Amino acid sequence: MKSFHQDWLANVRNDLLAGLVVALALIPEAIAFSIIAGVDPKVGLYASFCIAVVIAFTGGRPGMISAATGAMALVMMTLVKEYGLEYLLAATLLTGVLQIVAGCIRLGRLMRFVSRSVVTGFVNALAILIFMAQLPELTNVTWHVYAMTAAGLGIIYLFPYVTKAIPSPLVTIVVLTAVAIVLDLDIRSVGDMGELPDSLPVFLLPDVPLDLETLAIIFPYALTLMVVGLLESLMTATIVDDLTDTPSDKNRECVGQGVANIASGFIGGMAGCAMIGQSVINVKSGGRGRLSTLSAGLFLLALLMLVGDWVAQIPMAALVAVMIMVSIGTFDWNSIRKLRENPPSSSIVMIATVAVTVATHDLAQGVLVGVLASGFFFAHKVGRILQIRSAAEDEGRQRRYTISGQVFFASADAFIAGFDFKEVIDKVVIDVSRAHFWDITAVSALDKVVVKFRREGTDVEVVGLNKASATMVDKFAVHDKDGADDLLMGH
Amino acid sequence: MNKQDRKVLACVDQSHFADTVADYAAWAARRMDAPLELLHVIDRHLERGSGEDHSGAIGFNAQENLLHDLSDKDAAVARAEREQGRLFLNRLRERALAAGAPSADMRQRHGALDDTLTEQEDGVRLFVLGRRGASAETALPGRSNMLGGNVERVVRAVHKPILTVTKGFKEPARVLLAYDGSAVTRKGVDMIANSPLFKGLPIHIVMAGKENKDGPKQLAWAQDTLSATGFEVVADHLPGDPETVIAHEVEAHDIDMLLMGAYAHSPLRALIFGSKTTDLLRAATIPTLLLR
Repeated sequence: MKSFHQDWLANVRNDLLAGLVVALALIPEAIAFSIIAGVDPKVGLYASFCIAVVIAFTGGRPGMISAATGAMALVMMTLVKEYGLEYLLAATLLTGVLQIVAGCIRLGRLMRFVSRSVVTGFVNALAILIFMAQLPELTNVTWHVYAMTAAGLGIIYLFPYVTKAIPSPLVTIVVLTAVAIVLDLDIRSVGDMGELPDSLPVFLLPDVPLDLETLAIIFPYALTLMVVGLLESLMTATIVDDLTDTPSDKNRECVGQGVANIASGFIGGMAGCAMIGQSVINVKSGGRGRLSTLSAGLFLLALLMLVGDWVAQIPMAALVAVMIMVSIGTFDWNSIRKLRENPPSSSIVMIATVAVTVATHDLAQGVLVGVLASGFFFAHKVGRILQIRSAAEDEGRQRRYTISGQVFFASADAFIAGFDFKEVIDKVVIDVSRAHFWDITAVSALDKVVVKFRREGTDVEVVGLNKASATMVDKFAVHDKDGADDLLMGH
Repeated sequence: MNKQDRKVLACVDQSHFADTVADYAAWAARRMDAPLELLHVIDRHLERGSGEDHSGAIGFNAQENLLHDLSDKDAAVARAEREQGRLFLNRLRERALAAGAPSADMRQRHGALDDTLTEQEDGVRLFVLGRRGASAETALPGRSNMLGGNVERVVRAVHKPILTVTKGFKEPARVLLAYDGSAVTRKGVDMIANSPLFKGLPIHIVMAGKENKDGPKQLAWAQDTLSATGFEVVADHLPGDPETVIAHEVEAHDIDMLLMGAYAHSPLRALIFGSKTTDLLRAATIPTLLLR
């Protein structure tokens, strides 16, 4: 009861106004992303309407905007080119199913392996991809298009100094459309890009054969769409959490994204996910509750039905200007300045994520590389926390090695190198009670050391191995128990 | 029973009720010889947006700039509230000590009122709050006897007795127990019998509504239980609508405080059939102790 009130009714006026602002910006984005995906604008517009409306009820992060997105459009590009729209709709349905499964098995927990640098890389790559997607509209065109785009950007960023009551992207679109019509400019408009919605969406099943062959075609795409969609949604949810200082339910969000995509697939829309830029616009405009998301979707459809004929007249230059704004607003410009300040490993992870994403046009691959790189750097750093001290005992006939620190695959060689096998000696004591053996590489490194000493005719005694190898058990979890810091940090 | 964690928690904000809440809380703390804590809950209403900027344009570092703007705004509000809160809490503390509270602590917490009180519930013996807070005063000016929106939510959320007070303190001399024989009110009778809060005050038990066959037995039990612990008890069974009957009795016998069981049923049932507790609470013009 209480959360219903908080989610829906606590912020009605601001939510409705913010929804309207978002809807106005969603239209150009949905059209632009449809073009990226290679489908008619109506596919993206229906998807944006449907996803925004459904996620308002099913999502786990009130106030976050989800619709047709560039990240998803880039993934489906080749599928559409090779197999056509119907296969895209089928893949959209499968994406939804996979996302629901992911939510149910709480795959969202894996997000903790995505480090800050990877998130920054993801956001920057997304901004770059959105910008690059505008380039076809800016190449081989007359100077009118450049002038229009520049004027559009000027209006977008300068008009708020006049008034913040009217969305400046709307002013841009209205002004540029009027200019194009009045001057009768021969430049491309939205109507040239394909079919626009002329009616309310209707329920339909994708026209594909229901066999394994179809599954084999759509499954790889659906899997990537699932991963990209959830990544962007969960990252955006975290951003909105921070902006609003309120928590969200990440697993509910995963399931909600899935339901929204299934609904979208059934009305002829493409798969979508949360949008960073739009969510920031929503929060900035005062949107907080589920009503803002719902109203964004409803206003979007209402606008299309009311002024649909005019939408076809919007020059592409106006959309390009809006999309460049989204790209600028999404990019984390501070991250460039911080490249030098941050540790080199963080910067490399960020750049690797951006580079791989931009090269492959696949955010999933970029994030995978970023996560692997951060894991690699982490292992490298932790592997250096290893100290081997030795002292002669019993008048030089015995030597005691005291090991402290972390022994695992990345530090096993350093561990072996810490022993002096050439020393002629009766007995060696290896005290590992203050070390942690994390994996079988560590244990086999110890075996190796023991064997090497034995070959030299030296007796070996290993002290405290049980304690050291307690960390090897996979379910090892002392972090939440009293005394955990003694066990793990005590040296 | 550890006396330290059996405190009286007075929830105050900058509404007209704050003084009265402090007075009643001091009265209860004195009678029960319990420590008093004055709590001011600062709710930044994170579920509401500010909505001044509808430009829809995002520029360089949009996300970071927005985060700074929003947190600066929140910080300014929270800081101002904290300072003001400290001032009026100090004043109320003096007032409560002067009114005879054995000890008075003061505390401020961030959060929504009902969530905060639920968190603080452990160790609380009695909550005291005004019929409506500052937020309801701005929302419904002039309708001074309306129940604030927070009150019902709080009453549902916590599981300890709650004293909701009306404006103006009058030391209770005669109290009325609205009794219906339900499990909640029977438990309430036990609580009253075993608490020093009403020791020595005459208690008027009223069972209102249609006579059912267990009615007289239940009423007699309540009367006996209370008499046995030394209360001077009058018990009546009066036909009619509970709301009107009790309002009439309060008037007729110059009652200073109404005691009743609260919310025996689920919120769902209350949504469909309405809630007797809410009706009685709304109709009451005197401080009301809700027994949970």
